[in-house]
Amino acid sequence: MKQVVSWLALLLVLSTGVNALAQSTDHPFDPGPDPFAEEDEGPQISDPLESFNRGVFWVNDKMYFYLLKPTARVFRVVPQPVRSSVDKAFTNLGFPIRFVNNLLQLKFWNATVEFDRFLINTTIGLGGFFDPASNIPELAPRNEDLGQTLGHYGVGQGFYLVLPLLGPSSLRDGIGLSGDYYFLSAWNYTGLNFIERTGVTAGETVNFLSLDKDTYEQIKKDSLDPYLFIRNAYAQRRQALVDK
Amino acid sequence: MKTAIRFVILLLAGSLLLPLPALATPGPTDQVRETIDKVLDILRDKKLPDGERRTQLSSLIRSRFDFALMSQWTLGQYWRKATDEQQKRFIGLYSDLLEESYLSKIEKYTDEKVAYLSEKVEDGRAEVATQIETASANIPLTYRLSLEGDRWMVFDVVIEEVSLVRNYRSTFGEIARKDGIDGLLKQVAEKVEEQKAARNGKTP
Repeated sequence: MKQVVSWLALLLVLSTGVNALAQSTDHPFDPGPDPFAEEDEGPQISDPLESFNRGVFWVNDKMYFYLLKPTARVFRVVPQPVRSSVDKAFTNLGFPIRFVNNLLQLKFWNATVEFDRFLINTTIGLGGFFDPASNIPELAPRNEDLGQTLGHYGVGQGFYLVLPLLGPSSLRDGIGLSGDYYFLSAWNYTGLNFIERTGVTAGETVNFLSLDKDTYEQIKKDSLDPYLFIRNAYAQRRQALVDK
Repeated sequence: MKTAIRFVILLLAGSLLLPLPALATPGPTDQVRETIDKVLDILRDKKLPDGERRTQLSSLIRSRFDFALMSQWTLGQYWRKATDEQQKRFIGLYSDLLEESYLSKIEKYTDEKVAYLSEKVEDGRAEVATQIETASANIPLTYRLSLEGDRWMVFDVVIEEVSLVRNYRSTFGEIARKDGIDGLLKQVAEKVEEQKAARNGKTP
């Protein structure tokens, strides 16, 4: 009888031992199909102007480190909640762009959401300096712009374009950007001239950079070729936004 | 004696009733959360010496990220062209690069809140959507995982809709096309050295 017991006990010990062995091999599982296979079919965005784009990229890089970033650092004397509020107010003023582009894509529900956000944040949020609408999960922002609208109707990126100061863009998104700028932007109806509007945009950008945690520095630190890194990230992100 | 036998048989039968470890193990969100919580705990522990902190973080990350799989999928067609030696070197270097990138990113957000939004599981793959809530914006960060045994292992991180592996695949592919696999290996090695120098310069 005792033998049977010890035999059974041995069996128990052995079976757990075998289990442990099976799990210690290098790849005990089949990783399945390559989820990134389509990446080999070529770059996600064509770049016939690469040498020109790299030139603008280089200038933007210098502008960032010698002008924008130092200015943003000076901005940091302003308490962070204030800068955060200013950023929210700028975002709130972008309402017409989001609203109209939702309508153009026939996303009526999303347009309503943007309208509600604007209404709540402009009144209860004291002119958009606060964002109480974000406390309502149903009212998550529905960001749209003209580039996305064009993409929604099947217009491709065309080719990659690095714009002075504005950074990564494309033929399609560049056209979209100027459409938003000249027709849909709220600043268009304030009577400011081009120089003054550029000043406003610069202020918005520097304020945003003062809140940013060195995203660009991080990209430069992590990637072998920041130009390629940003180009691919831009293409991926814009595609995802259009597909949404 | 009889009770002893009965006990052992019961034990055996009991172990047969639990043949599916997957049912007993925590889901992908719980596993990701466990690792992130531990990483944040270590980062917030100011008393830890820098070297020790680094070692602990590294082993935590390496037990949750499948760097071998990420390497294979990042090199894509060049993985199949590479020799065993080149593959091994690439896994080593790329692991260092990814570990450093991931840690330096999460280090910046030690004080922010991480929210777990949703979880999708399908055929041994999962996506855990999280969100880092900062003063200026909410940063969406999705972990893509693969089930290995009873562990969910990260094979991709998607930040703001941008997949890290896809991005590296495109960048590395272009470099490998121009400079060959050895050229790529050399450049990754230089980058890793650069990161190490930057880190050591930062810590007094």
